[in-house]
Amino acid sequence: MATPFAFGEALVLGLASGPACVASCGPVLVPSLLAERTGLRLNGRYLSAFLATRLLGYLLFAAVAWELGALVSFRTTERSWVFAVIHLLLAGVLLRYAWSVGRACNHSCASPELVTIGGAGKHRIPGAAVLGFLTGVSLCPPFVAAGVRAAEAANVAAAMLFFAVFFLGTSVWFVPFAGFGWLRRNEAVTTVARMAMVLIAFYYLYAGLMTLIRKSVYGY
Amino acid sequence: MATKVLPAREPRSIGRSLLMTLPIALWSFLMFHGWYSRPNRSQLIAGIVTSAFMVILFFMMMRTWSTYRWRRWFFVALGLLFPVGFIHTVMVLRGTMGIPIEEMIAGRTPFCFIPIPLLILPAAFTKAIVFPGSILPNGGMSGGGMAAMVGIWLAITIVVGKGWCSYACFFGGIEEGMAAIPAKATVRKIDSRWRYGPWAVLLAMTLLSLGLFESAYCMWLCPFKAVSEYVAARNTVGMIQNGIFVLLFGALVIALPLLTKKRTQCAFFCPFGAFQSLFNKTSVFDVKIDKTRCTPCVLCQKSCPTMALTEESIARGETLMSCMKCGACVDACPKDAAVWHIRGTEVAVKPERARLMFLYAAWGMAIMFGGSIIAQGLATILHVFV
Repeated sequence: MATPFAFGEALVLGLASGPACVASCGPVLVPSLLAERTGLRLNGRYLSAFLATRLLGYLLFAAVAWELGALVSFRTTERSWVFAVIHLLLAGVLLRYAWSVGRACNHSCASPELVTIGGAGKHRIPGAAVLGFLTGVSLCPPFVAAGVRAAEAANVAAAMLFFAVFFLGTSVWFVPFAGFGWLRRNEAVTTVARMAMVLIAFYYLYAGLMTLIRKSVYGY
Repeated sequence: MATKVLPAREPRSIGRSLLMTLPIALWSFLMFHGWYSRPNRSQLIAGIVTSAFMVILFFMMMRTWSTYRWRRWFFVALGLLFPVGFIHTVMVLRGTMGIPIEEMIAGRTPFCFIPIPLLILPAAFTKAIVFPGSILPNGGMSGGGMAAMVGIWLAITIVVGKGWCSYACFFGGIEEGMAAIPAKATVRKIDSRWRYGPWAVLLAMTLLSLGLFESAYCMWLCPFKAVSEYVAARNTVGMIQNGIFVLLFGALVIALPLLTKKRTQCAFFCPFGAFQSLFNKTSVFDVKIDKTRCTPCVLCQKSCPTMALTEESIARGETLMSCMKCGACVDACPKDAAVWHIRGTEVAVKPERARLMFLYAAWGMAIMFGGSIIAQGLATILHVFV
């Protein structure tokens, strides 16, 4: 599969799936981006962190997909576990993020820092990076389609390369989000973004719990 | 703060008030003449009573110079009678208030205006409407289809902006009625940040609608599902959804308006209201504060049912963009500083003329849209007795 044609396929698949990826990541990306301070540079940093860790998630998934073939990664029963855990983690991170925005220096602060989550000092990591990674390993339909192809690759390197090219294709659709840097931030925008994050977190919490309950009770 | 109250205004003469009501009476006759000729007696009586009701309320608005308290009668009647007519029709056609999945698949889900903003992004991305209804009439409960509702919404919105939420919305009347019951508010201190709630719900639901490819608000958060049509609870998910609907209805539409004397669902939750606020920027009608007359006593701020006035906005001489043009602040102002206004004209030069022009437009639409809903609900009740 490691032919230029396969990589062309990965790129086209990524480009074609971009809107679906944006729709899938939008509930996480948009409010968290709006909750950051204004400025193109800061928003560029946010997107870089988000996309870089998203790539990391893609590559990790590619390696797993190739190692396990299509046996585990895409079987419905196992997939629902992955879904549930990722949704619960997303809910937790979004809630923590919304809380951290309130604690971060207020929006007149000149410090060009991304909102961080986690413990104090060195243990703090940008929320964008965590969210990027979690959306990177989310199993949205185009991602699964790419995973199936990656599982057929000749070796793990080819599978990862396939996912890297697929990532490039989808990332084109995320570039316009850098324009959010032009939007002025004030208390209203930040509060709306934080409230929206909480609502979306509740949805993910529900989705994760329901998947776990359904799997425990009905076995699927 | 002591406020020097202007002497109470003399009522307008009966003759002059009648003259001013004449166009509305003619419009009402035009809108209801179909009802007058119906063989069904309950519908005939409902048509006559409703058209008279709307004309009398307008006459009182003219005679007393007051808008809010008379509009409230109409609005509460609309809020209470919409579920009556709607539930009756649902029961006749389906035998249950729960919408079965088969009806959704057949595209026969009735479409209300609230999901309109949530459908725009998914439609832009996929060229598909993420609502299980039909664009044109499709039998069953779909009524006139989505196109008719969008058309009505657009026509009213272009003219009155967020006035829709005070003269056309068939949900808000229930909480306005609840808010009118207590003499005084039990909860007076409300964190002003809750005003951002509708925008947050709008943002979250728009993004989730795009991600889930369904109208997320209708599926998960609409409090009015409790009094219109709920999800047929055939499984745990349906039970959870209905539980959320009832909980939100009880809290936002019943309990909180009773405690705060505010329209809490509209002010702190409704995503359509947030979307509608944008159209206040395009409507020619608005409410201004005449800074030369304002003391400021903040009575207007206290009277606003949706917290659309703050001390800062009063100092700027305007309402916030979430103003629903209900007229409460104008009626409450003892100095006549809160005034109706037409964009492009000077503030407080001829405020009564601005009020009249707004009311002719808003009340005309209220008769056309809300009036027929009131008449339908009334006919349903009368059908039991007549």
